[in-house]
Amino acid sequence: MHDEQLDHDNSAAIEHDDNLDPRLTRALETVPLPSIPADFAARVANLLPARRPVSLTPTHYGQNAILMGIFLTLAALLLLALHATGHAMFDLLESLLLAQFVALAVWFTIWRHSLR
Amino acid sequence: MHADLTFEQVVRDHQDMVFRTLLRLTGSREHLDDLAQDVFLRLYRTLPNFRGDALITTYLYRIAVNVAQDEWKRRRRDRNTHISLSDDTSDWQDRLPHPDHNAEQQIQEREFQQSVEEQLQRLSQVERTILVLYHQEERSYEQIASALGMPIGTIRTHLHRGRKKLREALQQRQTKERRTTCTTNS
Repeated sequence: MHDEQLDHDNSAAIEHDDNLDPRLTRALETVPLPSIPADFAARVANLLPARRPVSLTPTHYGQNAILMGIFLTLAALLLLALHATGHAMFDLLESLLLAQFVALAVWFTIWRHSLR
Repeated sequence: MHADLTFEQVVRDHQDMVFRTLLRLTGSREHLDDLAQDVFLRLYRTLPNFRGDALITTYLYRIAVNVAQDEWKRRRRDRNTHISLSDDTSDWQDRLPHPDHNAEQQIQEREFQQSVEEQLQRLSQVERTILVLYHQEERSYEQIASALGMPIGTIRTHLHRGRKKLREALQQRQTKERRTTCTTNS
């Protein structure tokens, strides 16, 4: 009698185990239904940090720096020319400054031209 | 202003997915609103770096998983390991329709569902995440791999291992319940 009961339990257990996989899949695939506040999207939108506005007014920092560089180099060239001693060192320095002046002037001209 | 309106639409389109994923991953309704809010704010911060509208769900899954991980860490820190599946507000299973089942079957299904939820919370974070994304969200291996930044082979392994652990835990539970029933009957 007891054996019959055990057999019955075992067959029930096997049948139960056969069903376990589809039941598990079904349970995992069950989509929960959370309650979402009606104004959730609007609330989130209100919390958004303000983005830094993009400035539409152009600045001329680069242009001013180039112009200042040109004038300083020119001033240095003139100063060196006034105190020229014929020393090789002076000549070298003057050549370097002249090259720098020409480079800045060319760069400035090209840059202005590209802005048009 | 226009950007905010557009983002509000993005939130509205994806809020269901974010809420249900967070609910399943954290296993609780506690702070669910705050967590979902955090997900969307993080999305907003990453928007300038993100390209392509099709990627928004992948991005959101990734962020939701990160937010859930932060929540698990916070809970662990608080030593609040108790997962409130039985609290008043976490009975989402109660609202699931079972139109063809009788009352006893419904109770059994509800108990089984609750057991699955409990066992799901006992899995590792990565196994739980992959199971939820695969079964609940019906994401492909490729999409899960992309969202979690893992190889597809690893996703397959974790999915298989997670399901196996769940099955074994549920089998053990059923055997224990059956034994208890037999003992009380005899």
